[in-house]
Parts: sequence; C-alpha cells; structure tokens
Amino acid sequence: MSAPLILAVPSKGRLQADATALFARAGLPLAPGAKRSYRSRIEALPGVEVALLSAPEIAREIGAGNVHAGITGRDQVEESVGDGRATLTLPLGFGRCDVVVAVPEPWLDVETMEDLDDVAASFRPRHGRRLTVATKYINITRRFFAGHGIADYRIVESLGATEGAPASGAADLIVDITSTGATLHANGLKTLSDGLILSSEAHLVASKAARWGREQRKAYAAIVGKLKAVVG
Amino acid sequence: MSDTARLRSLLADAGYRFVELPIVYPARVFVELAGEELRRQLYLTSAEGGEELALRPDFTIPVSLHHLATGAAKRKANYAYVGPVFRVRPGESGEFIQAGVESLGRVDRVAADADMLKLALSVAKLYGLKRPQVRIGDSALFAALLDTLDLSAPWRQRLARAFGDTKRLKAFLTNGHAKSGPQRSELEDADVAAVKAAVAERFATTGLGEAGGRSVDEIAERFVAKAALAHGIPKRTAATLGAFLKVAGTPAKSLAALRALADREKLKLGAALDTFAKRIDAFAAHGIDVDGLAFAADFGRRLDYYTGFVFEVPGRGKGGPAIGGGRYDSMTAHIGDATAAVPAVGFSVWLDRIGKEARR
Repeated sequence: MSAPLILAVPSKGRLQADATALFARAGLPLAPGAKRSYRSRIEALPGVEVALLSAPEIAREIGAGNVHAGITGRDQVEESVGDGRATLTLPLGFGRCDVVVAVPEPWLDVETMEDLDDVAASFRPRHGRRLTVATKYINITRRFFAGHGIADYRIVESLGATEGAPASGAADLIVDITSTGATLHANGLKTLSDGLILSSEAHLVASKAARWGREQRKAYAAIVGKLKAVVG
Repeated sequence: MSDTARLRSLLADAGYRFVELPIVYPARVFVELAGEELRRQLYLTSAEGGEELALRPDFTIPVSLHHLATGAAKRKANYAYVGPVFRVRPGESGEFIQAGVESLGRVDRVAADADMLKLALSVAKLYGLKRPQVRIGDSALFAALLDTLDLSAPWRQRLARAFGDTKRLKAFLTNGHAKSGPQRSELEDADVAAVKAAVAERFATTGLGEAGGRSVDEIAERFVAKAALAHGIPKRTAATLGAFLKVAGTPAKSLAALRALADREKLKLGAALDTFAKRIDAFAAHGIDVDGLAFAADFGRRLDYYTGFVFEVPGRGKGGPAIGGGRYDSMTAHIGDATAAVPAVGFSVWLDRIGKEARR
C-alpha cells in the first residue's frame, strides 16, 4: 500500500470545533480519536491520516514538508511558511480575524504608520531605549514595518495575551489579531487607520515542500472537492 | 579562507594594530544601534539565563565597544581586524570573512578621511582592482542643507531619516503634503494645555500608565506640532532639495554645482562646503586621482551615526561593494557614554566579493 496523505487539523479551540463541523458537513467526519491522541482518520477516505496539531504548528509543518496539507489561518502561513512553500487552496469561511497595528488610545497624535515612524525615530534620543512592539507575528511585523520605512523599533516576542503588553509595560504597542476590536478597546488600544496588515481566515493549505505521489494527489483532490461543495 | 598575509602586513605597516574580538555579543548592542531591520540579519541564540545573544554581524560595533572598554574614550587608536562575520543573506553564505580598519580619536578629520581612502585604494590594488569606480558622498552636506532650509522641525526630521533612500526622499518631495493624518476635529486649533488635559484624561480612563513610555507632554506637544506636517514642504524648499540630490559627477564639478546652488538659493552651506573642498585637496595631496572619484550628493547611509564622508569600492560581481567605509562620529555616543562622541572613520573589506590577492 502507498503512503497516506497526511492532513493536519487544529487540535484545540474554536478552529478545532469549526474544522470538525466542516468535515462533518462535507460528509468526511473525523473518526473520534481516543482522548489525548494526536492522530485521527477520515472513515470515508482510508488513504488519509489526520494529524492533530495547533494552528502555528500546522503552518510550520506545512513549511517543513512534514505534512501534505492542513487547515490553518492565513496569518499563520504568512508568518511561518517561507516564500513558495505552500499554496492556499481554499478559504473556509471561519476563523476570520485581522492582523493589525494597535497603539495606546491616549496617543492622540498617532493615527497613521507615518506618525508611528516619527514617534519611533525620536523615541530613542528621548527615552534612551528603542520603541518596543509586542507580537507573536515577528516576520509579518518586520515586513510590514519595513514596507513603511520604519526601522527604529524592537520586537518583544509575546507568547500570549499580547494585548496586555502596553498596560503591563512589557511593550509600547502591539501587532496582534482582532475580530471585533473589543479586546483591543478593553485594553485601552486603538488600531491605526492604515494599520491593517492582513485579513485572515482559515484555509485549506497544501505544502509544496512535502513529497507528493499519485495516491496523495488523488486523496487531496477528493478532500478539496468535498469541502468546496459545502464552503461559501 | 583566502590568504590574507599581504593584506595583514599592508594594514599593519599603515599603523593599524590587529585586535582579536569576541564573536558572540548580547544581541541588544546591535539591535539597539541599528534597529529591527538588522535583527532579521542576525544569527541569534540565547544564553543560559535567557539573554538573547548574536553572532557579530560586522566589526565596527565590536571595535567601538572594545575601544570604550579598554581606556579613555577620546584617546587616539588605530585598529585592524580580519575574521568571520555572520549575517543571514538569502542566496549567499551567512558566514563570511571581513577585514578592515577603524581609526578612533583623530581630530584632524579631513586628513584622517584622506588617509582612510588612500589605504582603501591600496587594498583594492592589492586585490587587482586597478581603476575601481569609487563612489564618494558626504552626509554632512545634506545635514547642513536641512539646517539652512525653510522647513518645519517634523519635516526636517523625516527628511534626515530618509537620507540614503533617494526613492523615499523623492516621494516626500513630490507628495509631502497629502499623507499627513487628519487631526481630531474636536481638538483642532486646541492649545497645548487643552490637548494635555485630553491625553491625561484618556490615560486615566484606559487605565494605561505612562511610566516608561510616552508621556502626556510628549504626546500633546507632538499633536500640536503635527499641524506643521500638514502644511507640507514649501515648494521652493522642495525644488532646492531636488536640485541638491541630483548633483553628481567629479568632485570638482560637483563642488562648483553645489556652490552655485548655495549662492542662488542663499543657503548657508559655507562650512560644510569648505570641509568638502579641503577634503578634495587632501585627496590630491595624498596622490589620489581625484577626477577618478564619482561623487553623488544623494549617496549616503543613515544619518544617525554616519556623520560625514562615505565611500564605496564596487566588487567584481553584481553584489554589494567590495569595500565600504565612512565617518561615524556619533557611534561611540550611541553605544556608550552619550557625552563621549569620539571622531571615528574606517572601512570594511568584503573578502568574498573582492576576489583573490593579485599576483606579485
């Protein structure tokens, strides 16, 4: 028997619930795995092995070619997968969020990235340290800031609750995801008018780095066909 | 690794003392100085306690640190180095050998600049680059121009920051007016005191502290100053800047063009132009073929620590320069004691771009 197609599916949170529901609707229910198992199956497609991973792990495994395909956010792909190593096959209509630049609401003088550039440049002479940006999205932030010509800042890697960084003094501003803006507002933050970096949603993503055989292509086409029929 | 014996003796004979420096440094020394843009090029690792460490991406910062750590900042010292540096370079090796010299503490800046270019040309010759197209520039001219032009302080800072990135500068000159963000209507024409009150109120209602970050005063002052950004760059000023940035050619012709521009627009560039003229004379006195140098007024690097003369010797291929150098008088103030701005000039040789030493 030939090697299976390895499909990575989110293992926790809203993404897991939405992905599981989507597969059920598409007639491809995931086999209920044993508790704490990291593997599952799709009864209807014996040539597919399901790996249960976190969304950031899924993006990394796709980039590394350790899985053939997966369900993860576009934000994760943009952050962790190198150029040309993945294809966003199909948007899935859930997991919608925006990656934005948010600054403290009291910064009345800062409304655009250009304002932020001015503030960043004068920050070090004034405060003796660089302006700091807390984020999980290090690569996305670097690209976006470089695109706006901003160099005078330092990233502080955040491992959770990024929106609290300005209040706790861990950083001056943040780059993070938001869906309604309510969490940002509750933390005294506002987004910049041109600070929308990308609009993300969950996608079915194919790895170009993985080794694809005929059987795997066939299995992938079957998944794409079934999901397409119920999405959008 | 290429054989560097003759390069070593050339630099040693010119009076430079070789130093062996650490390869691993706290990452912050590079990131604080050069910003996040450099960090993406760094090879990072962490120390046992979690401190972020980096492999050195160049020698200029390590040599400056060494100088500050080993004696009085303002003393004269000439350093030379050969060794590996580490930068993430797509499509190229991340580990490569650089050689170079740094001269700190010389107050006869014009003569030091000329010595530096002459030595760099000797290195180029050693590697068989017979008549290299050497590019030269002078950041001090642009800084002096900004000082004398009719510009609001925020615009002066924006333009200073963009020096070296001519595309960005030109974009500022053509549409500098349009892109400034709108002011909040309820605070339009408000005085600083009213804005301060509004900012303070928002700090209170959001529960955010201003400790360590931007203060109420800082925010309010910039808010009011932003009106100046909305007014843009005066037309005449933009035209003068455009004309300045286009000046290029032999140093003598460029000097004449800059003097004519200064006369026509009544710009107080006297001191900066005199220094430029003296430097050209010093090049000639050092036996450098001055007409073989290509000056460009827009050629420079970021103004925050490069402060004057800059030069580049192109490599053989399409990649970056084989030798790059310049004056960086504010480096020591940035990395150490802010009062200790030590005159500094030097250059680096990219041994992977310059090729093999010429045969005897």
